[in-house]
Amino acid sequence: MHEWSVADAVIRTVLNWADDKKIKVKKVVLGVPSFSFLDVEILKEAFDMMKKDSVLDEAELEVRFKDPKFKCKNCGKEFSLNDVKDQIDSVRSEFGEEYPMHFMPALAPSFIKCPYCGSHDIVLESQDMTIDEIQVEENGTVKTVSQG
Amino acid sequence: MEPLRQLAKDKLSGKRVYAVMSAKGGVGKSVISSLLALTIGNTTLIDLDIHTMAIPKLFGLEGKLHEVTKNGIEPFEVKTTKIVSLSGIVKDNYVILPGENQSSIMESLIAYSHIDSNTVLFDLSPGLGDEILVLERITDFTPIVVTTPSKISKRVVDYLIRYLRERGKEPKILVNLAYMDCDGKVVKPFGEYEGFGLPIDPNLEDYIGRIQDYEGIVKEKLKEFVQKL
Ligand SMILES: [Zn+2]
Repeated sequence: MHEWSVADAVIRTVLNWADDKKIKVKKVVLGVPSFSFLDVEILKEAFDMMKKDSVLDEAELEVRFKDPKFKCKNCGKEFSLNDVKDQIDSVRSEFGEEYPMHFMPALAPSFIKCPYCGSHDIVLESQDMTIDEIQVEENGTVKTVSQG
Repeated sequence: MEPLRQLAKDKLSGKRVYAVMSAKGGVGKSVISSLLALTIGNTTLIDLDIHTMAIPKLFGLEGKLHEVTKNGIEPFEVKTTKIVSLSGIVKDNYVILPGENQSSIMESLIAYSHIDSNTVLFDLSPGLGDEILVLERITDFTPIVVTTPSKISKRVVDYLIRYLRERGKEPKILVNLAYMDCDGKVVKPFGEYEGFGLPIDPNLEDYIGRIQDYEGIVKEKLKEFVQKL
């Protein structure tokens, strides 16, 4: 159900950005950390329901999953999501569908330990949800606005 | 673009927002936050003190998880108070986080919660932490500073008040454990103080875990304080 909140956040952000400009939004590209396990089908359904009667009326939502890189500040080693898959799976089995990193990917350091030294002092790249691209039609021409 | 911040801003827009702070720990901030929320009524109490998460303990909500609906994270409802805490997401797991993650977590907690009351009250962790910066980015809030009349408290609270004034905010000062009322005779065991004084009530201890049932002298006094807000 959390996907509805995410869709709400995306729509509000784009509407706020579009302001009163005479544009039609054609596409929104959303980057989400892969370990948030957002259900893309539900997210799109929520997006399509909530976008009605706005500049987003014709907009399509594209979701790009970002695989974060982890770095341990204690021992300096880098590791990938795959290296901590067991840890993530065990949190998911404890909490079920609405597990903590589903809402807040930034909680990851609390639940993930460095596979080399066991430290929680971990930094993650690209842990936040971001709108990376917006495609708009203005006066008949389509252009892509990068938000990177 | 950061969708979280936009959502958090929208969730709080048009609402009366209070932030309960303290310069140091152990002044009874979370107890006062809880009693304030209960006194104001129809208030969403959001626990941003993510390291102690004392609010759920005070209300006897330990170990309970928030339900999630299309409207977002559903607060726990106790009387007319709605409570949101990170503990309702992580259960009894400890939360250890690098600083930059903390602001992100706090923003998410606000953004994703279902807030349908006119008043929102935040319980912040002691000191000048990330929460104040997070709140400043998303809303115009009224600070309520909780302190005690001890000399050390007075000194450390000064820097907090200085910061808030510099940011154009006039904090309301609540002095916890300020005096004893002995049959109408007011005794101030720690001396004089500045701010709105709250009485010492030894019975308050008994309400930890069921703070919603407390109707004693501290709450009576808080009713007066709330009138002036
Ligand atoms: Zn390590």
